[in-house]
Amino acid sequence: MARITARNLVKRYGAFQAVHGINFDIEDGEFVAILGPSGCGKSSTMRMIAGLESISDGEILFDGRRVNEIRPRDRNVAMSFENYALYTPITVYENIAFPLRAAGVNKADIDRKVRDIAAKMELTPLLEQMPASLSSGQAQRVSLARALVREPSVFLLDEPISHLDTRQRYRMRRFIKSIHQEFGHTMIYVTHDQEEALALADRVMVMSNGEIQQLDTPQQVYTRPANVFVAGFVGEPPINFFDFTSETDGEITIEGNRITVPESLRPHLGRIGKRGTAAVRPHFMELGETSPIRLKGRGFITEELQDHNEIFVDVGETRVSLVTPPDKHVARGEEVTISINPDHLLLFPPRQQKEENFDVV
Amino acid sequence: MYAFHDVHKRYGLRTVALRRLSFEIRKGEFFVLYGPAGAGKSTVLNLLAGITRPTSGDITRAGQSIVHLPPERRNAAMAFENYALYSHLSVAENLAFPLRARGMAKAEIDKRVHQIAEVLGISHVLERRPGFLSGGQRQRVALGRAIIRPADIYLLDEPIGHLDAKLRHRMRAELKALAQEMEATVVFTTTSSKEALALGDRVAILNQGRLEQVGTPAEIYHRPANTFVAGFVGDPPMSLLPVTAEVGGGQSILRNQDGHEVCRVPAQLAGHRDLRMGIRSNSIRLTAPDTQRALPGRVAVIEHLGHSNIVVVSVAGVEVSVSVPTTVPLKPGEPVGLSIEPTGIHLFEDEKALATGGA
Repeated sequence: MARITARNLVKRYGAFQAVHGINFDIEDGEFVAILGPSGCGKSSTMRMIAGLESISDGEILFDGRRVNEIRPRDRNVAMSFENYALYTPITVYENIAFPLRAAGVNKADIDRKVRDIAAKMELTPLLEQMPASLSSGQAQRVSLARALVREPSVFLLDEPISHLDTRQRYRMRRFIKSIHQEFGHTMIYVTHDQEEALALADRVMVMSNGEIQQLDTPQQVYTRPANVFVAGFVGEPPINFFDFTSETDGEITIEGNRITVPESLRPHLGRIGKRGTAAVRPHFMELGETSPIRLKGRGFITEELQDHNEIFVDVGETRVSLVTPPDKHVARGEEVTISINPDHLLLFPPRQQKEENFDVV
Repeated sequence: MYAFHDVHKRYGLRTVALRRLSFEIRKGEFFVLYGPAGAGKSTVLNLLAGITRPTSGDITRAGQSIVHLPPERRNAAMAFENYALYSHLSVAENLAFPLRARGMAKAEIDKRVHQIAEVLGISHVLERRPGFLSGGQRQRVALGRAIIRPADIYLLDEPIGHLDAKLRHRMRAELKALAQEMEATVVFTTTSSKEALALGDRVAILNQGRLEQVGTPAEIYHRPANTFVAGFVGDPPMSLLPVTAEVGGGQSILRNQDGHEVCRVPAQLAGHRDLRMGIRSNSIRLTAPDTQRALPGRVAVIEHLGHSNIVVVSVAGVEVSVSVPTTVPLKPGEPVGLSIEPTGIHLFEDEKALATGGA
């Protein structure tokens, strides 16, 4: 087990700087997800922790001890990748035993450790099979078992389940979480999938453009995003953004709707000034006049997802979505009033670009 | 209207892509093919487009077999997952291509191209060539090129699968609205339960080449035909618990493997074997572990969704998902009770739905 600290950590590839002097502390036994779009610096950060990439500047500490100069295999770090690369000519048992044999562990201990981890990871019936006969979910479990059998102090996972289908992903996600609960390793999990990050992690480190945007609990990242980037990247369905103007103190105008800002947000609004971005999650708005913060709009489409509906409404030029109980419907063009939960109105400085697209591929 | 009659499709001698599929696609409906990778979804599209032919069985349009019609005589518009754009043409020219090929007037073509580009949010890249677009933009161009022209049927193979979450969400609504306006017959493949439910007038669930169920979103969600559908539709899908039924006094008491009472149903379930009970995460309430009649379990995993949490409770070795507000404090390993609403349960015998189960 280890506590991991980064101080002014920088990664450069030639003239290109991928990570811009970031700082973080990951507690012993903590499960942290590094979340961000491709090119945000999340994999570079993880590879520097593993020792697979050199550190361009700054330092990484394990339990307060600098590891910059320590070779990967001496850091006692285990890694699992999306590409699980099992050794195909040998059995599952031998695959799991491999790192122990390489480390010169004696035969009896190897057998005990392999059987022990196989039991915990529900692999016992598969031990004598060859990798080619496994399903992708099983192969992934073998790969995780092989990484864990050395009892590493830090366990790093780089998009380990992004190639699995939805059902397998669900299952593996829970499995990884239960591994963490069972073994208690410090775990760092790199992903571009916000749902996975929120579901799994004790804390989520949201990265973009080589910088940490926020490092906090899933609940805080969701309800109190630090900036527009985090607000937009986290949450399903995606958050609604509006441009606002503020002519009078404590008041904003969104698409012609005048809104009195809750007392608690006024100092913040004062700092933002006359223009900014308001944001509300689809779960924190409802139809009808149930809150003093209201927007008028026209219905676009109602999606029936059975346990709830998602309703799209055009508020002026802005299309918003809201999550409602399954009995609510809005017809196309129908005039509606949307109420915003005052505790969940978020105000930010103006957005740089209106359309922020984070293409996955 | 299109219909599959006992369609079987084999590639080579070994690989069976589709196993005796029979279903119909109605005129003007948004028909979703939903299934895991390798289920046969793309094969269905290729058969409709005429790119491949069935090994046996028949495909008809308005009662006439179309199996021997070449693709160009089927009037089907197709958007592939791998885009297949003309790399030497600009986005505008790619979009205009199917219209030019039909000899449409230039002014009309321009109007349509701009209209569709607006809907798809690609107006600002019309002059670029595909090589200078992101994956998500390319996918939108491919989708635009398919839906820009009138066609008898639109075949869309995971057309929004490569877009980021925000865009996918927005495009989903646009696509549904557009299809309604055009009164188009659309066949759309996806691996997302949410997309299937949101878009489909009806949804066909495919699994390893087999048709597991066809129905409206409400039918597949509230009346899954078998345990595969139950465990595949919804977010999260149903949890499935093996149970035994004990009959007495006009009702049946369902017990889990440990002999604990799960719930009581007003039906005689004597003589049923291999029973499983399906239950959705929002039909279960968490209670104190010692509550009377509550099913005892232990918190295995807590998953945060932001607006709520999913608590996975281990009940006699079976995982059951329960939806709880974020304000409920829980710890892994903590003992809890589950209180199950009898109206929320679904019963399956030997993998198939029992008529008595569920609301």
